[in-house]
Amino acid sequence: MAQRNPTLDRPVAIDTTAIRVREQGIERRARFRSISEPLGLLIALVVLLIVFSLLNDRFLTIGNAQNILTQASIPLIIAVGATLVILLGSIDLSVEGVMGAAGMTWILLTANSRGGEGLGAWAWVIALGVALLFGLANGLIFTGLKVPSFIVTLGMWYVGLGFATILYGRDLFPRLEDAALKGWTSQLTLGLPNAFWLALLVIGIGLAVVRYTRVGRVALAIGNSETIARAAGLPAFRVKVAVFAIAAVLSGLGGILATIQLDIGSPLVGSGLLFIVIPAVVIGGTSLGGGRGGILRTVLGVFLLTVLNNGLILSGVDTSWQSAVSGVILVAAIVFAAWSHRDRLGVAK
Amino acid sequence: MTARTAADASARTAHENEVTAMSDTTPVLRLSGISKTFGMNKAVDSVSFEILPGEVIGLIGENGAGKSTLLKMLSGNYRPDAGTIEVNGAPQTFRGPADALRSGIGVVHQEQSLFTNLTVAENIEINTPAGRGGVSRLGLYNWRRLNRDAARALELIGSKLDPNTRVSDLTFVDRQMVEIARAIRVSASSHTPPLVILDEPTAILERTETEILEREISKLRDIGSVIFVSHRLDEVLRICDRVLVMSNGRLIADRRSRETNEDELFRLMVGREVHAAQRARSSVAPGTTPVIAVSELARTGEFADVSFDVYPGRVLAVLGTSGSGRESLVRTIFGAEAATSGTVAIGGDASARPSIQRSVRSGIGYLPAERKTEGMVGEMPADENLTLTHPGRAAVGPFELPRRRRAIAAEWFETLDIRPRTPERQLGEFSGGNQQKVVLAKWLNSDELRALLLDHPLRGLDPGAAETVNEQVRAVCDAGTAIVLIPDTIEEALEIADDIIVMRDGRVSGRYDLGHDDPTTLDLLERML
Repeated sequence: MAQRNPTLDRPVAIDTTAIRVREQGIERRARFRSISEPLGLLIALVVLLIVFSLLNDRFLTIGNAQNILTQASIPLIIAVGATLVILLGSIDLSVEGVMGAAGMTWILLTANSRGGEGLGAWAWVIALGVALLFGLANGLIFTGLKVPSFIVTLGMWYVGLGFATILYGRDLFPRLEDAALKGWTSQLTLGLPNAFWLALLVIGIGLAVVRYTRVGRVALAIGNSETIARAAGLPAFRVKVAVFAIAAVLSGLGGILATIQLDIGSPLVGSGLLFIVIPAVVIGGTSLGGGRGGILRTVLGVFLLTVLNNGLILSGVDTSWQSAVSGVILVAAIVFAAWSHRDRLGVAK
Repeated sequence: MTARTAADASARTAHENEVTAMSDTTPVLRLSGISKTFGMNKAVDSVSFEILPGEVIGLIGENGAGKSTLLKMLSGNYRPDAGTIEVNGAPQTFRGPADALRSGIGVVHQEQSLFTNLTVAENIEINTPAGRGGVSRLGLYNWRRLNRDAARALELIGSKLDPNTRVSDLTFVDRQMVEIARAIRVSASSHTPPLVILDEPTAILERTETEILEREISKLRDIGSVIFVSHRLDEVLRICDRVLVMSNGRLIADRRSRETNEDELFRLMVGREVHAAQRARSSVAPGTTPVIAVSELARTGEFADVSFDVYPGRVLAVLGTSGSGRESLVRTIFGAEAATSGTVAIGGDASARPSIQRSVRSGIGYLPAERKTEGMVGEMPADENLTLTHPGRAAVGPFELPRRRRAIAAEWFETLDIRPRTPERQLGEFSGGNQQKVVLAKWLNSDELRALLLDHPLRGLDPGAAETVNEQVRAVCDAGTAIVLIPDTIEEALEIADDIIVMRDGRVSGRYDLGHDDPTTLDLLERML
């Protein structure tokens, strides 16, 4: 290695065109991939729509479209928060617990069958505040005590359920008495359900947070490499806590909407939502390892799963089969969606 | 600094003039008697030197010579126990990396420290403080300003990268440019001439990419000074005005590049002469069965129609640029990537498809370029890593005998001079060169090693460690093992190989049997590009 090579003592003039051409090729391929992935999802969605409309002519009606939008609204709102958390490389499993806690808090502070005047807007503020506390607890325990988010939020899920169950007590289900709110989520404004308008607003804010705020950008940086982020002096601690807080508040909002939709308060108001939200984020292409993905992709994921559930019901799949069928389809969808992410010697954990 | 940025434009021009006037006499950096001790170990021992504006300084030394510790003191990660650091004539105490950055010292670390999922501009601006001059106000991003400021930093180092590109879409050279732009970002806005420290920036670059980077480094001369750390002595001599040599924590030599040569630098660093034993080369005896016979092998998007034979006791080097598909080719032969078509016959048997299991069972070893992720288990002790694949006599049936394992490890530590001699320590705590030796020993511990595939085996190794690895490779080769080598440089191939194949855009573009061919470096380069 220490031999001297006379031909290289003076700099060799090298034509770098070949390299540049190759680099452009790499760039083009990267760009193609960033377009083709969401396109694949879109195509899958269209295929589902076609298949279900052939199976049942009630599927492709305006009424059912509005139905699907209403059904998608709550998962959409929660999935925006879940996407942020997963972009960090963490996970929030406390969704259903926080929904129960916030939903229960809200209905007991609103006019309901157990009596009482109701606090109006304050009920919303207090219920979302309760959700915020859960989120802060998640974030602070996770970052401060360095407990994996998986464990912290798994525990917090049950803390939330417990909190809601205590509020619920041994009385009858509290029924929503506020006439203005009954059925509000599925009522139409300008042709779209109210809950869906709210979901659009949350999605818009979520997109802006990821694209235009320090919290969003630093979250992406942490998801890419927390070691580098810390070495670069980024406020990793604060951003992680903030993201968990945002996610919990959105879960809380989802809990209130679900309570309105259900018309009664129940600790189990969020039951089954985690099973839609997290797969939706993953199917959308947001990497569970963090750093890659985005909210718009998650939106596609939510729609894919909602259409799937709605279509299965309409095409008359026996209810006892439904859970197994949607589980199988879910795994298949993830295999399909994650196909392009398979690394060489890739290891899944 | 704040006063300076707040000053009006005319005052700033005046200040710049003053800097230029001062720069003839004041060194950018002056170290006097810098020392740092860890426990009993004096890592850096009263080092003193100066760097003048516009100078490019080479810093060389074996792994463990104290280079990294010295650099960490300059970047504010460590505080010196004794001595002073003066930047532009003013004594400095760095309480952290931010202080060093503010005074104009930017470090480009050996490991890439970019966020690959963010844009070029964000990576460059990520350390810029928020607030009045910063890019985010009340936590909201100002993309236009961000891109403009980053473009200015890029322009300063003569790069035309689009600030809005995602880093994951960039090549390694371009990523290095982004790192350099980030390193000079702070001093660029405060109008102090920057000192850029490049810690082995070329370690993972291919030859042609290195040329590009070299050109970029010489451009830095116009705006500031550079400390260039590298293990490639030819490169250091080509790029730098002066070379500083460190050994055992001390600065032992300071040479003008014009007045020294590679042999002298090697001797200073390692403390012994170069063994420039030229290999006696011969052609393959007719009738020999190849250990590995690759036939019309292809992998979509990487390489196609590749055929060649590797014979026992011979080194076959595969040359090519980063897009040539040579890494993928070798990984496919080993079975770490799937072939689209074609066959790999091992010892004349082409019946099975290449897979890692089959390769290991038939005595083929692979030294991956990604040592940390594919070659070793950092959290496991060195001795367990060593006997991981081929436990040899440490295994009795399904059991492993720790005492025998330790004995095997002790032997290899001696043979390969792996330091420190503590096989029970976690492998991750060893230096890169010694880790590489353990990974090599993992394959050498096989009783019937028939072929060894080496993917950039000398990457990041200091010349002393590189020589030990090379000697060992030669020894197993002479004992009859076939070697397939992806070298870092053409010189490495010419020095050690018996056969060379050159790849360009996934196809073989040249074949040489050094038994009777004598290609020059330029011949090979032409085939590569």
